[in-house]
Amino acid sequence: MALLELEGVDARYGPIKALHGVALSIDEGQMVSILGANGAGKTTTLRAISGLVRKSGKVVFAGKPLPRAAEAIARLGIAHVPEGREIYGELTVWENILVGSCFRRDRREARRDCEQVLENFPRIADRRRQQAGTLSGGEQQMLALARALVAKPKLLLLDEPSLGLAPTVVSAFYDVVTKLNRDAGLTVLIVEQNASIALDVTEKAYVLEVGRVALEGPSAELREHERVRASYLGY
Amino acid sequence: MAQFWQQVVSGLANGGTYATLALALVLIHRATGVVNFAQGEMGMFSTFIAWSLIENHGMTYWLGFAIVLLISFAGGSAVYGAVIKPLQRGGELAVVVATIALLVIFNGLAGWIWTPEVKAFQSPFPKSLITIGDVVISWQDVGTIIVSLACVAIVFLFFRLTRTGLMMRAAALRPGTSRLMGIRVTLMLAIGWGLAAALSAVAGMMAAPVLTLEPNFMLPVLVYAFAAAVLGGIDSPVGAVVGAYILGVGISMLSTYVDYITVAPELQLPVALGILLVILLFRPSGLFGRTVVRRV
Repeated sequence: MALLELEGVDARYGPIKALHGVALSIDEGQMVSILGANGAGKTTTLRAISGLVRKSGKVVFAGKPLPRAAEAIARLGIAHVPEGREIYGELTVWENILVGSCFRRDRREARRDCEQVLENFPRIADRRRQQAGTLSGGEQQMLALARALVAKPKLLLLDEPSLGLAPTVVSAFYDVVTKLNRDAGLTVLIVEQNASIALDVTEKAYVLEVGRVALEGPSAELREHERVRASYLGY
Repeated sequence: MAQFWQQVVSGLANGGTYATLALALVLIHRATGVVNFAQGEMGMFSTFIAWSLIENHGMTYWLGFAIVLLISFAGGSAVYGAVIKPLQRGGELAVVVATIALLVIFNGLAGWIWTPEVKAFQSPFPKSLITIGDVVISWQDVGTIIVSLACVAIVFLFFRLTRTGLMMRAAALRPGTSRLMGIRVTLMLAIGWGLAAALSAVAGMMAAPVLTLEPNFMLPVLVYAFAAAVLGGIDSPVGAVVGAYILGVGISMLSTYVDYITVAPELQLPVALGILLVILLFRPSGLFGRTVVRRV
């Protein structure tokens, strides 16, 4: 069953239309990627899903239409790790993680989840009292992921997590995400410019071009597709 | 030496009033990115409500005080929801102009409702004096210092230790991202405005017994609080509070030991602010302000 389904979704920034009838579908437990050049509408698609951009069209999550407000969407179980990580640099590492669980009503369990998640990220656990702004880029990306996980999401949206990170850090990050998907059954939608790694870790992919879905299919097949190879993989 | 310590205590008392109002200014600046020029007048309006509750409705001082804190909180949130929030789309300048408009509106309303004539506002503290050695200080000063320190402590503990406090800090730092964490940013900012209004009410009620109550009595307090906030760093709550105490004691010293100012009290404000300008020339972000360092 599809956990998230978009049909004919339009989105605009003021007078500029950024998405033209985007349709995509993600099954529960699946890992899906959205590829595309700069300005193709990848980030806008995620922002439309999580309610940061006004959208029209059909969006169904777990069988129900999504509410309008971003905070209400987050509370339904969609965690969005935004482009550029957007951690709270002035707050400590631990406070950053707590913020991710703030809305939860099951306070005691939420706190336990925060401890638990931090344990799974030993590199940032050592720095829990440190200001988050002093972490390295890779650590900040891990922190942004940890902060999203303590919301106990059903769907995780990752926007360009590899941006500005060293290749070894990128692969370490995706190891964690893949493990979450495999072991905890977390559904993940990834937006990536790094098409190669995105096609490696996901089973299905969409290619966006100027706000429209240009190609879609199993990642393994798209990898062999001539246009994808020429435009996004570079060989 | 006795005179010196007396001046320190009375400076700290004035500083406490400035600190409470300066803290309100910092809260708003962090939450909304603007200086609320109406903050002092909101405190003045609250103080008039307190006066009316105590004088016309026979309440005790502290009951009136508590009720006014609640009214001010609600009023501050309402100002945010009705005026500031809708204008934020128009940019910071629109909001700043709105706070200046609110300053004039509250000032005019208070004069219209309560008449501009000067009123005596009772002090909740005993009239007697405390004598330590040859230093004589008033309960009013001691009380003001205690109340202002209590306010500062409550605000700090609230932001450090509570979930709502953490959500408010997050909402102020990154509103968009905080919505992605399920935080109701608008509600958090409304609470911030409410809190600031309650703080300025405290400042007003502490200052009124000394300054006497009339629609313009908070204007100099606002100027000093603003100066304190800028001195300490407009984004640093600790800085604003420390800046306020420094300013309070500094003015006290100036007016006691510098002859010109003792002779001409009109010079107090200009001299204090002149010194402030000089300090800012050397430390533009204030004594406690940090230039934000970010790793990309």
